[in-house]
Amino acid sequence: MLAKKIVSVLENFRKDSSASIDLKILEEIRIKYLGRNGLVTNLFEELKSVSKEEKPALGKSLNSLRDQITSKITELKQNLTSLLEKEKSHIDLSLPGRHKQLGSNHLLTQTLNEIKSIFRSLGFSSIEGPELESDYYNFEALNFPKDHPARDMQDTFFISKDFLLRTHTTPVQVRIMEKHQPPVRAIMPGRVYRNEAVSSRSYCMFHQVDGIYVDTDVTFAELKGTLVAFAKQFYMEDLKYRFRPSFFPFTEPSAEMDITCYLCHGKGCKVCKYSGWLEILGCGMVDPNVFKMVGYDPEKYSGYAFGMGIERTAMLKYGITDIRIFFDNDFRFLKQF
Amino acid sequence: MKILLSWLKNYVDLKGISPEEISVKLTMAGLEVEDTYSEREVYKGFIVGLVKAKQKHPNADKLSLCTVSDGEKDYQVICGAPNVQENQKIVFAPIGTVIPKGQFKIEKAKIRGVESFGMICSEAELNISDYHEGIMVLPDAMKAGVPITEALKLNDVVFEIGITPNRPDALSHIGVARELAALYNKSLSHPKIKLKESKNSVNKFASIEVEDEINCPRYSSLVVRKVEIKESPQWLKDSLTKIGLRPISNVVDITNYVMHETGQPLHAFDLDLLAGNKIIVKSTKEESVFTTLDWKQRNLPIGTMMICDAEKPVAIAGVMGGANSEINYSTKNLLIESAYFNPSSIRRASRALGLSTDASYRFERGTDPNNTLYAAQRAAQLISEICNGEVASGNFDVYPKKIFPIEIVLRYKTVERILGYEIDDQRIGEILKSLGIYPKEQNKEEIKVAVPTFRPDIEREIDLIEEIARIHGYDNIPTISKIAVTLHGRVDESEFADQVRDIANSLGFFEMINNPLVSEKLVSYRENPIQILNPQNIDMEFLRNSLLPTALSVISRNINSGEKDLCLFEIGNIFYKNSTEEIKSFGDFTESQKLIFIMTGRANNKEWYSNERFFDFFDLKGLINSFLSKISLDNFLNDSYYHSGNNLYEFLLTKSLVNKVLGEGGKVKKEVLSEFGIDQDVYSFEFDLQSLMKIERIDKKFIEPGKFPKIFRDFAFIFDNSILSEEILVHIRSEGSVLLKSVKLFDLFEGESVGKDKKSLAFSLEYGSEDRTLTEVEVEKDFTALIKSVTQKFNATLRGK
Ligand SMILES: [Zn+2]
Repeated sequence: MLAKKIVSVLENFRKDSSASIDLKILEEIRIKYLGRNGLVTNLFEELKSVSKEEKPALGKSLNSLRDQITSKITELKQNLTSLLEKEKSHIDLSLPGRHKQLGSNHLLTQTLNEIKSIFRSLGFSSIEGPELESDYYNFEALNFPKDHPARDMQDTFFISKDFLLRTHTTPVQVRIMEKHQPPVRAIMPGRVYRNEAVSSRSYCMFHQVDGIYVDTDVTFAELKGTLVAFAKQFYMEDLKYRFRPSFFPFTEPSAEMDITCYLCHGKGCKVCKYSGWLEILGCGMVDPNVFKMVGYDPEKYSGYAFGMGIERTAMLKYGITDIRIFFDNDFRFLKQF
Repeated sequence: MKILLSWLKNYVDLKGISPEEISVKLTMAGLEVEDTYSEREVYKGFIVGLVKAKQKHPNADKLSLCTVSDGEKDYQVICGAPNVQENQKIVFAPIGTVIPKGQFKIEKAKIRGVESFGMICSEAELNISDYHEGIMVLPDAMKAGVPITEALKLNDVVFEIGITPNRPDALSHIGVARELAALYNKSLSHPKIKLKESKNSVNKFASIEVEDEINCPRYSSLVVRKVEIKESPQWLKDSLTKIGLRPISNVVDITNYVMHETGQPLHAFDLDLLAGNKIIVKSTKEESVFTTLDWKQRNLPIGTMMICDAEKPVAIAGVMGGANSEINYSTKNLLIESAYFNPSSIRRASRALGLSTDASYRFERGTDPNNTLYAAQRAAQLISEICNGEVASGNFDVYPKKIFPIEIVLRYKTVERILGYEIDDQRIGEILKSLGIYPKEQNKEEIKVAVPTFRPDIEREIDLIEEIARIHGYDNIPTISKIAVTLHGRVDESEFADQVRDIANSLGFFEMINNPLVSEKLVSYRENPIQILNPQNIDMEFLRNSLLPTALSVISRNINSGEKDLCLFEIGNIFYKNSTEEIKSFGDFTESQKLIFIMTGRANNKEWYSNERFFDFFDLKGLINSFLSKISLDNFLNDSYYHSGNNLYEFLLTKSLVNKVLGEGGKVKKEVLSEFGIDQDVYSFEFDLQSLMKIERIDKKFIEPGKFPKIFRDFAFIFDNSILSEEILVHIRSEGSVLLKSVKLFDLFEGESVGKDKKSLAFSLEYGSEDRTLTEVEVEKDFTALIKSVTQKFNATLRGK
């Protein structure tokens, strides 16, 4: 009985496996014969009930049946898989992918964001203020008296007798201090305007970041520390720097910070005007007169302030030689960054 | 300001200190040396030449063909100067030298067919004087081949120093020398005054009266008689030329020289041209016209301080002298003015007149009130020596209220509190003394000092601390790299704008930044623009009142340079007046932050997988809705549509909250585009960013994703064209049962097959429940009810069934 069944299963398998099949059908065939309830598996069940004499021979031919079917299925599977691969190779995988355009932020925004993130890590808030300012906030409260030549340092666009386009973001310092008691630690990014002739090196509008930190016992040494830490993160770790005295009406002592020109490494080149140094920012200790204007006690508090131009910073960092490119908004420029 | 090294050496010993070192030292003390010109560098390669022979140029009448010898070799040189002669000693610039004026390099040249190997120079070309009519002829005794730096002793160095407005004391050679003396711990020597006065007293020749004592606290004056006006001696001309001044005549040159020596501006009047031989200092009481010595008519506002004689004004005090009393070649007798004027008074006059001079520049920054007489005497001494003048005895010195040095107390502890670093008390005393700031009293805690009147910038303790830090050296202050962090709430006011930028980037938009200063044309689309009172030019006369016009300019420029497919955005402020009145307070104008999206050209390029497609209104609408959903405002704002639009847009779309429009945009009108020279469609939308930010968001809550299978159903109807898709969607949503989770319009078809003025719209409906698997029966019931409801409500015909 069993011997007959073995032959018939083999015949059926030959029939099944010679038809046009794919991998899915092959899997069905495998289950039909070799699965838990498969035909071959069932024959092994039947083997248990045959006589001892018949068992070895039948067992042998049953094993042979299982091996034949298993190897045939493996062979078929390999053939089908490689056939499939061959079919697939008609697709040219080197065709360009379907394009999805992403935009980008303006280079000045990117530069500002880098600066912001460094100061954010140092615990600075980021505060904004109006571009159309009063003479009071832009000048008077910052210790620029009326009829003082210090005002010549910042050529101003006026819109009325007492209102103007802010010439720096420093007025935001006054606005913050008017609202909050120390400690105050913030940077103030924004757009500023100067009535200066437009050229490759200067534009009538540009962006600045001002910073301020006021508390008890804030010192010039700490100002140096913060700005050196910033410059090292923003420009390069092993830069050389120097602070040299300067003048801003709202700070005393005032300084300008230079770093070694990284184009010529201090040897002198066109960009650093053959000095080997690049001026990167202005800074100083907040002038007691400014504290008085906002009602802080200069005997109790001290603070530092600093300011830098974003365009200048980006030009230095990216090797841009004409400031006007920032405001042309040429798409070929915008796409580069 | 130009400072001459040789001139500095008259006052301070700089032996053994190189110009480079001086330059760094001054810069690090706050007197920034912006440039250094060394004559050795400037005249490198120029030598004394001998003109051995001179012939006519064969092809040019006005040119000569010269043979120039450097003592060893001969060079053929073409020269155009009329005064070139055989056997002259001249300044020869061989091939490779750089001519100081114009900075051009001498190369072998062919002039009218003849070769030339170098150039014979004029004084102007060498920047030695303005003289350019002929070549510079050197004394015969000079030896050919000797470098001119040696022959003419050109070994000086000029420092170009940027003096900050707080340092009027440094606007002179003595001022800079004083700084160097402090920095190098050396002594400063002022020129000694030894006047040979005549027996005649000044009172015999003139009188002085100061009416305006507030604006003229001191007026000092000397009289010098019988002067000979002529050209200045060479050393004086050279000194002035090298610092960029043009020599005029001996007396005028001396007054300029003494100003650049001492910082005190001087003016010399022709005493015989002063009516009544009198000087009166007073301010104008009415508007008037005055001719200054540059022969220009100046309109004087009321209150301008003038120097007058008995009859008429003769100078604008502190700014410029008048043509009517100027020194000229027939002048015999002089009155030298040396005054101290109130700085803000001079600044006001200079600003009102639009006239800034070397004198006004110094007066408005603050000169030393106690140096006037010294400067006048110094000038008188030089005039008596150089112009053979006779100095009248005595002087005029109207100085009713003497200005004394101010006294300041410096607490040693404050130095440390501000600088974060202790400087030795003794060192502090030394530094202050080196700057001429002397101690009056002192104890362990503090020092009281008197600040000389040439330092008007030092008024407070903090100013002294800066001086100490400056001279001690900023580099000697430690760099503390540990921050004493005081924790407090950190805010970021640009956080929302930054979030918006990120979303715009992810939607494929590039950020632009435009100059808000624009022309009148670009503000003409909106009301009440703000005008700049002092614009640079008419292209930047107004502040923009919308972001659209500047964005259109950008689009136009880019199209012209070949970039026609553009997706751009900008975040920027716009400005407008709240009425037509003048701006007097912050309430009179509005400054608000806007966001603009603008797109033009192709949405899809022609690719191997797609056809090209141009942006249309629905790209804009979809973009705006995606943007709003990313900032969690997708279900807050109402849409309104207007086909004819407004002055900027057709197909106008507005987004409003209650009745306040927060954004508008659409297809930019053809008329507007043509004003920008744009001939392709542009879609744009402008939001009020501040309003968007301020909308109170409902916090998003987590919704468990459904566990049970969804069931989908589709239907399509034919509607009249006049029915808006939005109405149908709203109707289906409201009529469907709670099981209807969403409905989507997925097909639109118009054409003959659906009939004239008809359209077919197909919708896909999604059914589901949070708590069970729906049965086909209950979905079918709701679906059938909806078909009936839509058919009835819109008089629609169900398709395909
Ligand atoms: Zn360099």
